Amino acid sequence: MTRSDSPAEDERRQSSAAKPSADACEPTQRRVAARVAVTGYGIVSCFGRGKAAALDAIRNARSGVRTITSIDSSSLACRIAGEVPQDAHEGLHRGYDRFTRFALIAADEAMEQSRFSTTDPTRFGSIIGTGLGGCETQDASYRRLYKDDQSRLPPTAIAHSMYNAAASAVATKNQARGASYAVVSACASSAHAIGQAFHAIRSGSLDAALAGGADAPLTYSIIRAWESMRVLAIDNENPAAACRPFSNDRKGLVLAEGAAVFLLESFESAIARGADILGEIVGFGITSDAGHVTDPSADGASRAMQMALDDGGLTIDDIDYINAHGTGTRANDSTETAAIKNVFGERADAIPVSSTKSLHGHAMGASGAIEIAVSLAAIAEGLVPPTINLTDPDPACDLDYVPNAARSVQVRTFLSNSFGFGGMNGVVAIRAGRGN
Amino acid sequence: MERAEIEQALIEIVRNEKKLPDDTLAPDTALADAGIDSLDALSILFAIEERFRISIPDDRARAMKTFGDMIAIVEELTGAAPA
Repeated sequence: MTRSDSPAEDERRQSSAAKPSADACEPTQRRVAARVAVTGYGIVSCFGRGKAAALDAIRNARSGVRTITSIDSSSLACRIAGEVPQDAHEGLHRGYDRFTRFALIAADEAMEQSRFSTTDPTRFGSIIGTGLGGCETQDASYRRLYKDDQSRLPPTAIAHSMYNAAASAVATKNQARGASYAVVSACASSAHAIGQAFHAIRSGSLDAALAGGADAPLTYSIIRAWESMRVLAIDNENPAAACRPFSNDRKGLVLAEGAAVFLLESFESAIARGADILGEIVGFGITSDAGHVTDPSADGASRAMQMALDDGGLTIDDIDYINAHGTGTRANDSTETAAIKNVFGERADAIPVSSTKSLHGHAMGASGAIEIAVSLAAIAEGLVPPTINLTDPDPACDLDYVPNAARSVQVRTFLSNSFGFGGMNGVVAIRAGRGN
Repeated sequence: MERAEIEQALIEIVRNEKKLPDDTLAPDTALADAGIDSLDALSILFAIEERFRISIPDDRARAMKTFGDMIAIVEELTGAAPA
């Protein structure tokens, strides 16, 4: 319907058009950004709070996987995880679900490092991926209802458990009044969040964004659910050796938690305010397998990697390192290896590929962001992160996985792979340092 | 339960939900003026119901504007004061 049937209504419209209200919105100024810089990032993980703790662990090939202490794990079959140590978050941002607290802690570090202060909050966004949202709140609610036989729940249960709770809290804390939302695509959530923020800035719909991911899935019910899938590495006596990607003696994946958040802004803005440019998001690939819900497809993964290259105007020769999804399950490791070979052909043999999940476990929707963060931190020191526990190479996995020790390599551009349940794939291409 | 005990318990509940300067909770303190927003108020009501094992009807909750109203409602519903 293009016109009103009511003259009175037409008149009212014209009147309101002629006399805008005092708080009428200004027209949006669209500023297309040719390039998108990383000027700050933060991480909280099983290594502790901050980039320095993560870098120390990566440099020394030291696992952060440990016995779970945040919940009573005594009756669980799997009692290990990449759990964030208590002293990394205690007392910080109380009054939120655990996953939101992690996002806020990581965003604080990103903001502090970037020294970013928006001149236009309406063009500053908060895009935070999560696979599972407010698990702590949901678990406590279900326990109360079903186990403790209570009939009522805290009135904050919805606000704390909703999937966009972290994106909302990060937006509010940092006064990001532009596009802000959660991205939910299982283990690809934060790769997709970073990709979405990158495209929003590049296309001119945002000037800057806090983008990343957060998850805190170490609850009784979530661990029980993962146990029933029979994909967890259960090595309660030796947690650090549990996650063994690309190794024939692999045992499965190790659950983890944490967050990483990046301050992304246009190069123009970063240069104008004299910010240190720590890296550049150069390409993003996003595909769907439209196949099996849990079995990954090499086709979907390959297309995502190729799309990230094409999106960034990159060729296979530009890529010096690949941070693999590398969960440590047989299905992932061989499929991902095949996908890398599909895209890179013979060059695949010359590219270091590593799974930092071997060190920090699988932080679900936060994993892509955490992996980009630890890669950037290592690359800034002239290192590529290792794949630890790779003692018995799987014949189906025959790339250079940087086994067991970080390696001195100058990396200019790398890919970060994330492949989620539901067949949802996200690949981010990142240029380290200032680029050219 | 004596009124003074109820008042002390309510102060603890409110302060547990919301950081307030020490001298802000007098019977005539308007909850909104103390910075207690609608979600804080719901959490406080929930904690009161848990602590005193009472159920505060919605219309009574909506009518609770000051800290004094809060004390009076709890007194009434716990039988500490005549309705």
